[in-house]
Amino acid sequence: MAEAATATGVVCRETLDARVAGSPAWLADRRTAAWDAFSAMPAPSSSRDEDWRRTDIAKLHLDRFAAAGTPARELVELAQSRHATALPGAALVLCGPDGGVTVENAESLLAQGVIVSSLEEAAERHPDLVQRGLSGIGIGESYFVAMWNALWRGGVFIHVPAGMQAVAPVWIAHLAAGDEQASFPATLVVLDDHASLTLVEDLVGPADPAPRLSVAVTAFQLGEDARLDDIPVQQLPPETWHFSTRRANCGTSAHYRLFGATLGARLQKAYWDVILEGRGSEADVFAVCFADAHQHIDHQSLQLHRGPDTRSNLLLKVAARDHAQSVYGGLIDVLPGAIHADGYVVNRNLLLSQGASASGVPRLEIKANDVRCGHGTTVGHVDDEERFYLMARGIPADDAERLVVRGYFADVLDRVPLETTREWLLALVDAEIGDGGGGGLDADEVAP
Amino acid sequence: MSEIAEQARVVAATNAAGAPPTAELHVDGLRVSVEGKPILDGVDLRVPVGQVHVLMGPNGSGKSTLAYSLMGHPKYQVTGGAASFDGQDLLALTPDRRAKLGLFLSFQNPIAIPGVTTVNFLRAALRAQGKELPAREFIARLGEEMTALRMDASFRSRYINDGFSGGEKKRAETLQLAMLEPRLAILDEPDSGLDVDALRIVADGVLRIMEKSEGRMGVLLITHYYRILENLTPDRVHIMHQGRIVDSGGPELAHLIEREGYDPYTTATSPPGTEVSRP
Repeated sequence: MAEAATATGVVCRETLDARVAGSPAWLADRRTAAWDAFSAMPAPSSSRDEDWRRTDIAKLHLDRFAAAGTPARELVELAQSRHATALPGAALVLCGPDGGVTVENAESLLAQGVIVSSLEEAAERHPDLVQRGLSGIGIGESYFVAMWNALWRGGVFIHVPAGMQAVAPVWIAHLAAGDEQASFPATLVVLDDHASLTLVEDLVGPADPAPRLSVAVTAFQLGEDARLDDIPVQQLPPETWHFSTRRANCGTSAHYRLFGATLGARLQKAYWDVILEGRGSEADVFAVCFADAHQHIDHQSLQLHRGPDTRSNLLLKVAARDHAQSVYGGLIDVLPGAIHADGYVVNRNLLLSQGASASGVPRLEIKANDVRCGHGTTVGHVDDEERFYLMARGIPADDAERLVVRGYFADVLDRVPLETTREWLLALVDAEIGDGGGGGLDADEVAP
Repeated sequence: MSEIAEQARVVAATNAAGAPPTAELHVDGLRVSVEGKPILDGVDLRVPVGQVHVLMGPNGSGKSTLAYSLMGHPKYQVTGGAASFDGQDLLALTPDRRAKLGLFLSFQNPIAIPGVTTVNFLRAALRAQGKELPAREFIARLGEEMTALRMDASFRSRYINDGFSGGEKKRAETLQLAMLEPRLAILDEPDSGLDVDALRIVADGVLRIMEKSEGRMGVLLITHYYRILENLTPDRVHIMHQGRIVDSGGPELAHLIEREGYDPYTTATSPPGTEVSRP
């Protein structure tokens, strides 16, 4: 599909027209409605919008970002090598920012009747399923979601039929756009009743410092008693503006688990929402974030308890160094029908430099009786006594700090259910912290 | 132990090591303040490699301050005097450099580092000191030392000191001592809070490490209790009071303290009976 290349950048009417032309009617309508909503909306403002108060995007100029071209060969190879290192048995879906999608190693899943395909293709072939997948995402619910609804391309669609346990995990690599280009990563997953799946979503790019724009939506629909293990990794290039919404709608007794690592981008605004619709549905969200240099990383979480007997637990552990800033806002919202809801949210922050900062604001809104909810937030530094203890064993100050940071992240990373993926994540985090004390310390290396 | 026996021990150590163990801790007139408050008021001490020296004294006399100061804790400001080991000025070195030089401090109450397993901690320390072992050898040695200290294998994957009981912390410190093989071990009350059995395990552990070192390791043992000295016979005993070493002598000095307490030092301006000797 030819992309409109205009002086106003990719976020423009011409791009919408091209997308609409390539979409089935129902999707074309949705895109157009989304564009209209987007066009009528002001950009989020730190002075007007409460949840943008600490994240200022006044310097974001959308017209600066052109349509994305074909990804560089090196980037494709980087994405493939991450998959090969961390979870070689998983089906691999490579999503280029230009909309090109390839599916590899998925034979066993396809033989099971699982759908793994590009979202564009699925929109043509399985419109009902895709509409179900999109049903949790409002067309014009926010500025960036409206933009995404209008302009996403390529994308991934996964459907696991009822009663089916996907025989292999799926690894989705969303490749970053090129210099001064925009990408619109899209992932939709529909799990029917009693279905289960493990998913890795790797947002990956080169380390070069060119500015980029990434506007992403990832949506999950979990049927009754469905199980999803979701491992999102965000390691976008260092000057990327990244806006994302990740939402899991959970049916009766469904269980959603997120194990996340946020490492990249210059500025991130990520919404992580779990919607506990069905009675007895559960969500566990565990994530680490390491930010350094001038990164500004904003996580906003929502644990929405609609159904009775629902349970949610969120732990976000952030370490910030140099002049990095972490912003966190979390809401546990218990609606009137959600009796016996059990919700917990904790945000911990470790500051490694004078110039680093973190703010965490977890909140509770409880409109039901007989619930159990809690929240907490902490901001701390590496303890002098910890540093001295490690140094007294011969470990230099910098390495001591790395070891402490790695230890700090351990109670999240240790929970990642796939061993090879866990080790890969540990190595990624170590590399972000800096090579040294943490390197090559895997317990498994010395296991008898 | 008589002077002759002591000399014989040093000679034996010399032969075993193949070179004279000349390394020695020298502390001269060391003055240290904590948050502006003077604690050490001119400490003089010599601890040669191959010997066990015991430091006793009433609470608050400055024993732990000396231990931390020698290891380089940033909270302790050296305001005067000198400290060296093997001819190298300790006070100019960061704690990690002191450890690489061969110093080790067994902490009285070591801090927990959540998320860092005992195994990873030990490997990081060995690597940092250039004493890294091949994985198989490391595991074998670790297993040996843990068995000797009667530590459960689960310790390896437990986070260092995290949720450890008092006794487990002491054993974990002794395990580190065994694995790191320092040249000078400063043991800050390795016996406090231990029952008789646990005390024997730790004391035997230190003794075993000492013997294994074949005269290459010196020990400065800080203790309140005579009990540990039944297992670990000291070469010298030093008494600290009000930030100074006020008396030094052989093992009999520890007996005296056991019998009479520190009263002779704390109630008189100069210690009665014994002559003040320098180590």
